[in-house]
Amino acid sequence: MKHESKQRSQEQEQLSQFTAPQATREFAATDELLRHDAAQTDVPPAVAERLTQSIAKLPKPSRSWWERLWKR
Amino acid sequence: MDSCVNEPAVAMTPTNPLRSLPDTAAFADLYDEHSKAVYYLALRFLADPQKAEDVTHDVFLKVYRKLGEFHGDSSVRTWLYRITINHCQNLKQSWSSRNLISTADDAIWNTTAAPAESPLHALETKELGERIQKALDALSEEYRLLLLLVADEQLSYDEVAALTDQTADAVRGKLHRARKAFAVHFAKTA
Repeated sequence: MKHESKQRSQEQEQLSQFTAPQATREFAATDELLRHDAAQTDVPPAVAERLTQSIAKLPKPSRSWWERLWKR
Repeated sequence: MDSCVNEPAVAMTPTNPLRSLPDTAAFADLYDEHSKAVYYLALRFLADPQKAEDVTHDVFLKVYRKLGEFHGDSSVRTWLYRITINHCQNLKQSWSSRNLISTADDAIWNTTAAPAESPLHALETKELGERIQKALDALSEEYRLLLLLVADEQLSYDEVAALTDQTADAVRGKLHRARKAFAVHFAKTA
């Protein structure tokens, strides 16, 4: 247990030492850093536009989206 | 979540063009709720923003066409991740068989910042994102995937275990080593 918490604190120390030069920002753990990164990463709007075009080109299904999902 | 970050109280979300199609409101809701997670997993797993866009498009097109195959045995998020992981792994296999490398470059990385950010914030995000990507790239594919999945608070350890075909105990054990390895590699990117 002590060994685990020691490794954890070493990891936290390594993460917190390195911050962006433009702003002081510290992350306590890898998960927190990745969650922050994910929150800052947006899906480019072009994806939804491409998807809309792709779906519009599909043959029209005989049943609606929700009917296909729930009324099987 | 990082408490140091000031986020707007109301996010400015552009209208999803999927809503312009007839009978796709529910699908558009599903896209709005999960596309960010799918795109982020693909982006950091593949280290290629253009490929991540392609994967996100392909995953949701497949979901639209194959909804009949979703039996509700898992959460929608888990189902989407399974399709995404399979798609990414197929792409990586295809790349390695052709001996190709990632085509990501600085110009492409610039497109990954949120459009509403200030220039300074975008620069900061880009640098941090690049460092995270470099640290992830230094890890094995398995460790990278575990870290990305566990970082999603919507997934339990059991769900991560199911997605990576191992036990929850094995996930916990590997995760410990993966976090440590990530921290070491992240430190080297400074």
